[in-house]
Amino acid sequence: MSSKMDTIWSRLDRKSTAIAEFTMRQYRTRISTWVVMIASVVALFLMLLFYIEAMNSEIQAIDNDGDSFDSDGDGYPDGQERLEGTNPNSDVSFPDWVDPDPPEKWINEDDIDWDTLGEGDNYVGEDDDGDCTNLDTSSQRDTNDNGIDCDIIVNVDSLNSSIIVDADSNVDEDPDEEKYGKEAGHRSFILGIGKFGIVYLLGIFLPLFLATGLIREEMSEGTIHYMLAKPIARGELLLYRMLGYIGVTWPFIISVCIILCLITGFTGPSDGFFRWSDIGVWMSIAWATMLVSLVYGTIFCGFGIIWKNGVILAIIFAAWELGMAFVAIFSGGDSSIRYMSVIGWGMIIVDAGVAISWPDNWQLIEIGLWGGGHGEENWLGQVDFVALPGAEPLGAFSGSPNLGVSNWLAFVISTVVLLFQGIMAWFIGQSIFKGKEVE
Amino acid sequence: MMPDLTQHGTAETKEWKPAQNTPAVMFDRVSKSYGRINALNSISLGISGGVTGILGMNGAGKSTLFKLMMGKIKPSSGAIRLFGADPWKNPAPYSRIGFVPEHEKLYDWMTAFDFIVTFARLHGMTREQASIEASRVLSFVSLADVMHKKIGQFSKGMRQRVKIAHALVNDPELIILDEPLQGCDPLARTTIMNVIKELGAMGRTVLVSSHILHEIERITEQIVILHRGRVLALGNSHAIREMLDQHPHKIELECDDPRELAKSIIKIDEVTGMSFANPGRLLIETQHLGEVHQKLPQTIIESGRKVTAIDNPDDDLQSILMYLTGGSI
Repeated sequence: MSSKMDTIWSRLDRKSTAIAEFTMRQYRTRISTWVVMIASVVALFLMLLFYIEAMNSEIQAIDNDGDSFDSDGDGYPDGQERLEGTNPNSDVSFPDWVDPDPPEKWINEDDIDWDTLGEGDNYVGEDDDGDCTNLDTSSQRDTNDNGIDCDIIVNVDSLNSSIIVDADSNVDEDPDEEKYGKEAGHRSFILGIGKFGIVYLLGIFLPLFLATGLIREEMSEGTIHYMLAKPIARGELLLYRMLGYIGVTWPFIISVCIILCLITGFTGPSDGFFRWSDIGVWMSIAWATMLVSLVYGTIFCGFGIIWKNGVILAIIFAAWELGMAFVAIFSGGDSSIRYMSVIGWGMIIVDAGVAISWPDNWQLIEIGLWGGGHGEENWLGQVDFVALPGAEPLGAFSGSPNLGVSNWLAFVISTVVLLFQGIMAWFIGQSIFKGKEVE
Repeated sequence: MMPDLTQHGTAETKEWKPAQNTPAVMFDRVSKSYGRINALNSISLGISGGVTGILGMNGAGKSTLFKLMMGKIKPSSGAIRLFGADPWKNPAPYSRIGFVPEHEKLYDWMTAFDFIVTFARLHGMTREQASIEASRVLSFVSLADVMHKKIGQFSKGMRQRVKIAHALVNDPELIILDEPLQGCDPLARTTIMNVIKELGAMGRTVLVSSHILHEIERITEQIVILHRGRVLALGNSHAIREMLDQHPHKIELECDDPRELAKSIIKIDEVTGMSFANPGRLLIETQHLGEVHQKLPQTIIESGRKVTAIDNPDDDLQSILMYLTGGSI
């Protein structure tokens, strides 16, 4: 026929921008758009209040080794007496050549100060308060038998994410709860709100409100007749409507992540004025949310095409994904069933981003769980260490991509998988749409 | 010339010109059923050139016919061709078609101009081309002065014209209008009818559906009568009109003061009777519907009364159907 007939799947740029632009303007007129966006911002900022509160309140310091106590009542804390070489248990023996320290000085005085750990055995640790170096015999000073007095052997096995700590007694035994707790609390918040609040909740609520009706509302209002009377395939229409949906949701997701990144980056514990290393984590959270909301959006839009109450199907699907979100977050990457979901792949992106941006994250957790080596022997004869504050939540929210490949490759693979899921959802959606009679 | 076998009907007249070569619209024994209900029953039609009125009562199958034509629904059996292509499988022919749906819903938040530009771009036009075309079609339907106003502020008649303008933006060869006059005020009716007639004069193929015979008559002589999913008759309306003149016709006016209006209307010679059936309504009876309709607008204006709606109860079409079906509608 004439060249005029050659119009479907052609001049895509003009048609796609027309529909995408139209869809975005249409969103602006819908109250549901504003409700879901304002509600999510309010919810996220309420969570942020808890975070700011936590960052600004002090974590109670614990005197893990008990040396701030003045056992003999001579005014000098036990730690100071040991350091100066007097008897902490005799009130006539005290270092009268120095002023007595305030007891607070002997709390958190022997912090964990291992910055970098290599693979295999590391000999680290420093006896800041002298309660190891002042011990009488060499065997007392070298309980881990490595020939070095007052040190710690840390065996790092990054393949299995495990750390074995074998410390000489009284080395790094009084860590700074505040310093550790703030760092771990900051990271737990980012991962908790990032993985659950943003990747899952935002990733599923935006499409639930914004994508389910993308075609359905046009069908029920009859306005779809204007679109279907144009020389574009129904698959094209679905694709361009999704572009408009992306045009609204993606900038929103990116803005939310940038704002949270700025607030937490300036509020969180940091040596400089801003936590630059967090940016990579926020980027992976934003990217995961963008992809997840795209896949959900395409699926939910398809549900809307299938059935006028497609939102019910969407909610059932969201419930499955909620279960998968919990599995993916709290199994720490050990579960295989997460591959049968959208959110599981989203979490892999975040975990890979964390592993790239905070390579020390798993070590931080393990060190916090060791917590200075205090604890009680359980009935098996093993020591149950008392974890530092924040170590357990951070451990719960952290995971490993666990795909058996490098972190960057895991990032790329999960991105490809999510894009593939989106394309499949579009393909199935447009096949159903093509066979759908529109009254 | 070989007779076109695709043309069926019991009231074929010689004025009917069967389509040559590939007709714009081709229905070959098309049926459409919903469960056990047959909405269309073995319809065969070929339409090309000029204005054709699709006439039928509500539920006769007019909308189903258009939906099939526009690929919205799939025929249960038979074949449909739009410029030789199957509309259910291929939306490509829509580049040569303009469709005005029956649905009243429009995007109220858009301006008329924005609406038409947006949908023009779906034909693959650039923004600039679309703007030029949108201004052109909006002037064509006499909406140029309000084109930057929101559609939500428009009256029913203006909305209808926006819909028509949107369908004309691609300069279509075939224009399909589903009940374009429904619910319009007298002025809008006249404007829309003139637009349709002009399109016909421009050599376009136009399909207009209506359930009111005299409306269609004022636009075209070429009509197809649908009844219960079948083509009951197709051909020239004069032939059909002749058999109807013995029946009286009714026109219902909705106005602010029917009694005052009646004083003016009684001066029209062709009016044979009037009654005040419902409050705010005036019912006129006449044997000569066309003449009354021609004189009515001027009379109303002179009377100074405000008429909000002019309606023709289905009487005339019903009379035809009674005649054609031998009294069993």
